Amino acid sequence: MLFFTRSNFLVVGDCVVGKVTLLAMTWMRAQNPMKQILVIAWREVTRLRKRFGGGASPIAVVLLLVVLGLSAFALRDTVSLGSGLYRVGVSGDVPAIQDSRFSVVAVDLYQGKTLLEQQSIDVLIDGAQVISRADDRSQYAVKALKQYMEKQELVRIGSSFPQDAAFPLRVGINYLKPDQASGEAGAGGEAPIAKPEEIIIPSLTPPPAPFTQVLVALLYIMPITFISIFFTSSFMDEKINRRLTILLSAPVTPFQIILGKMLPYAIFALATTALIAVLTGGNVPLALAIFAPTTLFIFAIYLLVPLFYRTFKDTTFIAMLVTTLTTAYLVFPAMFTNTSDLAYISPLTLAVKMYRNEPFGWREYLFPSLPMSAIFGFAMFAGTRLLNEEFLMGYRPITRKIIDAIYLIMAHVQPYLSVPLWSLFVIPSVYMVQVVLLAFATNLPLGMILGVMLITSAFVEEVVKSVGIVALAEHGKVTSVRDVLVLSFLSGLGFLVGEKILLLLSLSIVSQAPVSGALFGAGVFLLIPLVAHFVFTAIVTLLKTKLKVPYLLALIVGTVAHFIYNWYLMRGGL
Amino acid sequence: MTPFWAVVKKELGSVLRDRTIIIAILIQLFIASFSSALLLGMLSMYDSDTIMKFGGAQIKIGMVGAVDNPLTLFVTQRGLQVVPFDTLANAETAFFQGAVNAIVVIPPNVRDTAEIKLYLPDSEAVSSLIRMVIQEPLKQYENYLRTQNGIEVRYTDLKGKPSISFEFIYSVLIPMLMFFPAFVAGSMSIDSITEEVENNTLQTLLSAPLTINGMIGAKIVAAVALSALQCAAWLALLQLNGIAIQHTTWILLLAVIVAGITSTSAALGAVLLKDRERSQFIYSLILLAGAAISTLLDVSPIKTLSRLAIGDHYTSGWDVAVFAVFLAALYFLLLKTSRRLMV
Repeated sequence: MLFFTRSNFLVVGDCVVGKVTLLAMTWMRAQNPMKQILVIAWREVTRLRKRFGGGASPIAVVLLLVVLGLSAFALRDTVSLGSGLYRVGVSGDVPAIQDSRFSVVAVDLYQGKTLLEQQSIDVLIDGAQVISRADDRSQYAVKALKQYMEKQELVRIGSSFPQDAAFPLRVGINYLKPDQASGEAGAGGEAPIAKPEEIIIPSLTPPPAPFTQVLVALLYIMPITFISIFFTSSFMDEKINRRLTILLSAPVTPFQIILGKMLPYAIFALATTALIAVLTGGNVPLALAIFAPTTLFIFAIYLLVPLFYRTFKDTTFIAMLVTTLTTAYLVFPAMFTNTSDLAYISPLTLAVKMYRNEPFGWREYLFPSLPMSAIFGFAMFAGTRLLNEEFLMGYRPITRKIIDAIYLIMAHVQPYLSVPLWSLFVIPSVYMVQVVLLAFATNLPLGMILGVMLITSAFVEEVVKSVGIVALAEHGKVTSVRDVLVLSFLSGLGFLVGEKILLLLSLSIVSQAPVSGALFGAGVFLLIPLVAHFVFTAIVTLLKTKLKVPYLLALIVGTVAHFIYNWYLMRGGL
Repeated sequence: MTPFWAVVKKELGSVLRDRTIIIAILIQLFIASFSSALLLGMLSMYDSDTIMKFGGAQIKIGMVGAVDNPLTLFVTQRGLQVVPFDTLANAETAFFQGAVNAIVVIPPNVRDTAEIKLYLPDSEAVSSLIRMVIQEPLKQYENYLRTQNGIEVRYTDLKGKPSISFEFIYSVLIPMLMFFPAFVAGSMSIDSITEEVENNTLQTLLSAPLTINGMIGAKIVAAVALSALQCAAWLALLQLNGIAIQHTTWILLLAVIVAGITSTSAALGAVLLKDRERSQFIYSLILLAGAAISTLLDVSPIKTLSRLAIGDHYTSGWDVAVFAVFLAALYFLLLKTSRRLMV
């Protein structure tokens, strides 16, 4: 019985919300677009407040955050790779071993040797002497112990001896610029120094590795990912309660709805970014500049997820997948800051540089930010096209839904314009997908990686170039063979232009002059790939639309052709 | 019993039909391969042993000053090539001609303290690589100088084998593959319970001869069964890859118990909050906090699992039993509160 009163109450509540919304909408009719966005943003805040308002949940959240903060603080020093893996027997005068990797057993020498032989302990420390077995596990323990003991000894020496005696070595590091080498170096005797000298004490200064800074940079991403649970839920909520219908019938554009819903989260994200920058001693405006495109990129992805969802479980799994992929995409390159120029793929690299007080230029800034902003723009555009009732409420297989979505994105202008633009604008996504595929491919034996990468990249490219034309053909927008051919050519052209722009951008960072010379040297070299792109796309689209071959089969044929061409090119055939 | 198994079957069927499980497996495969790639990449960039193994021997260091200095010996022992020079100017000429990659200048008459100079190329990628490999000889030289000062440094002669891969496999990779399915199981329980509430299908379901505890229990069983299946598959795959894993039965049992714990606590959250949005949010927070706290308390499932996998002498089924007791207590709590889902 109680259940019914509750649900009645909910229905009443829903009606009230609906009426309020309608009232707000009529009020909005007279206002300017900016105001409408603000109204929707305010409505979103109200929704969240109602969800979490009243009862114990806000307290629970605060409590949990405190617990998290405390445990993060406590864990900061103790957790490391290999926690609890080694058993160490200790006898005699040995410094205390406080490291999560080692579990210490106090033994006397004889007992310790027996335990070591029984493989109950991995290594035995007797005073200044370390006894180990010859097998792997014991030797790993010795190596781990070496790293730990080195640090402990430094602490002991540093505290019990005068500074100069304890740390007797100073190394002045200078960087030599190769450019001015020719004349002056030999003659003047003075070296052309690139930077001021950096003086280090080897045992106290580990070589620069960006791990800690990457972790700090990752701190910025976490709240953004967390908040996107609510952003995603916001659309799902509207869908389940059918309130989106009311909203869409009001005189607001889908663009305003999306922007309005995004606004509170964007403000939250920027505020936390600034807060984290203040707390970690970063440069606030710089941190905002670095993470604004990243925030937009994450929002863009979480905008598209709920639009395609069918059930709760779908959404959970897709959101999980997206979170892992984006985190990997952001973290992986940043780990190689300063060892590879390709690290600039990720904006976290810029953050790492910021924390190290190392400068970076505009090109380095644009290299990660431009593709991310482009993807955001594309997702916003797609979102406005897809935010209609028929698409959102339809329960169809996911592949079907994707084709429909692509059709909706492209259908508003002439195919001659939309097809090449589609190929051009999905380039950043293709490029991200290929980076992810590369991570998968590293699991394979070394000899297979190249081949598998060539095949999968060819497949992805063929999908991207042909899917727009196929979607248009399925809705009867493209019929004649001539149209299919012309569109295939335009699609190939758009893709090639995008590909070359991206290449140009990355080459200007990586600055490998001979490579860029080979790629852009002669105009003929651009003509051949253009023809190739056209031919493969035409094969796929004609097979699918005219010969009614299943799309997957058509794609495989196109991919094989593309792969053979790439293979020939790699072997130096052209 | 029949309605109970019907619900289990329905849950499993929907996951398999919607191919969502494929996404979950893809995620795990990606995390595993990604973290291995990350480790391999980092080793080749930041681990001096690995750098030396792959082409470190080609690095040539120009040494200006005392050739009989112990540092020369340490650098040679590390496997780097030493090229002696009389003056810095000569060394620089060789540097710019590409004959040496870096220059070390040792002042004459070093007794107990020294100030040496290191000249590196202005390219960050190359210079950080050289700093990585020259770190160990520099530290050895520092210890040598300390001995000259009459300071004895202990434990300097330890060698051992590089342990990072070992530590990674047993303390990160295996626990991650065993516990990620548990995390997914919790999320799945929340989704399938709150979906019944939010779509108003709960009453219909309960009109079958099935209690509310039976319904929730069936959903948990389905989620846990799925994660057990994934764990068994990962264990088999890992062993096929030549990774030795001891006590596989206990490990599987531990993974199932942990999946039970996450699903039960997820179900508790769903029962109390009744909507997906809040339940998922609180669930992920609790999971993070729970993982952090268990690590602090030294009864962490991750540590137990790593120890079981390497065949630790002091770890046995009793350590697994601790978690079973916790699961039983949690499930009892769920039985007592489950009626609130209907209110």
